[in-house]
Amino acid sequence: MSARGSAGYGRRRRGLGFTPGPTTLLALYPRAWRRRYGDELDALILDMHADGRPAGARMRADLLRSAARERLRGGEDPSRRVRGGASLVLWAWSLFAVAGGIVAKTSEHWQQVLPGASAAHVAFSVLKVVAFASAAGIAVGVALTLPAAWRLLREQGWRRIRVRALLALALTAGVIAGTVALAAWAHTLSPAGRDGHDGWYAAAFVAWGGLAAACLFAWASVAARLAADVRCARPVLRVHARLAPAVAVAMAAMTVATLTWWAVVAARAPGALTGGSTLAHPSPLVPALVLAGSLMVLACGVAAVGALRAERARAEL
Amino acid sequence: MPATKTRHNDPTLLILTSLASGEKHGYALLQDIERFAGVTLGPGTLYGAIARLEDRGLIEPVGEAGRRRPYRLTGAGATELEDALAELRTITDEGGRRLAARSSALAGGLA
Repeated sequence: MSARGSAGYGRRRRGLGFTPGPTTLLALYPRAWRRRYGDELDALILDMHADGRPAGARMRADLLRSAARERLRGGEDPSRRVRGGASLVLWAWSLFAVAGGIVAKTSEHWQQVLPGASAAHVAFSVLKVVAFASAAGIAVGVALTLPAAWRLLREQGWRRIRVRALLALALTAGVIAGTVALAAWAHTLSPAGRDGHDGWYAAAFVAWGGLAAACLFAWASVAARLAADVRCARPVLRVHARLAPAVAVAMAAMTVATLTWWAVVAARAPGALTGGSTLAHPSPLVPALVLAGSLMVLACGVAAVGALRAERARAEL
Repeated sequence: MPATKTRHNDPTLLILTSLASGEKHGYALLQDIERFAGVTLGPGTLYGAIARLEDRGLIEPVGEAGRRRPYRLTGAGATELEDALAELRTITDEGGRRLAARSSALAGGLA
């Protein structure tokens, strides 16, 4: 029986005259946990407020803290927790890759403007090296899973990912077609036109970026769905449990490197962040970089949760 | 799975102590713990501890699944409670001895 379905968390109970807001927080718990304890916890919250007394912030904080703890603790099966943690890191890395793409586009011309800014060069080099290393780590993790994923697909696992895989394939075809079309268009434009002075090209580029991000997320979704059911050997799971925190740390290092590079370039030549702005005092708070920085911080948080989950489960493998 | 040792400040010890007097459901546990320990556990904390105790086989649900399902202590749970209380007794005994020695020393210094 679905706990959520039967309990109807957060809805008004007939006769009680009390809307138990905190029970909506039960949705934050892992699904398996809710199935087992959701109804009982829901009943307890109702019992505690049977007199109509409103639930306080303390109870909400307690539920939030407890739900986060259960998310980190995961289920009983450590291999499932490692796979879940690694999937979360993969999602975070996909999000980070989108942010990285934005930074790559924004940082196309800064080296011409600031050839001698050593701190910015060091930060940018660190960013590129760590990005390559983390991508290699992700590739190793995916490659190690491929034999088990192939076995799962052969055992009728294809049905579980069919819709997601077809969507990912369609998006990939769209990205390839879009890339070819944009490249052909770019050859007809001046350098200034390619740097955002041609409104139509800029809009098409943003649309292409959105399509590429959707494609990346679609493949991450396929991988996460496979990871939920795939049966990996214990040594492979141990490698995944090691890779997850390594990739999370790499993402944190890249975020610091990006912020350092941004700060140095913003202080010395803010115009370089906007493709050679002609304004007297261009703002260093470029919206694209603000978005990229926010996405990076968010991705680091998600990766930290996944890495912690995988690392905690590793000891129990 | 490596079991986490029960500590005297852990809600799990309060739950084990409460269940030592008989089976109880969530709300009865909260009321009982508040009565004998003066501690008000949040509902999330209570069920987090219940889940951990059940995982470790220290408590078990009684009867059919339901919204107010009672729990009871298992044999392993009773042993765990005895161990935790013995550990606690060691600390309280040692603390008492040291406080008594301190009082004696202070009294000697004043005399």
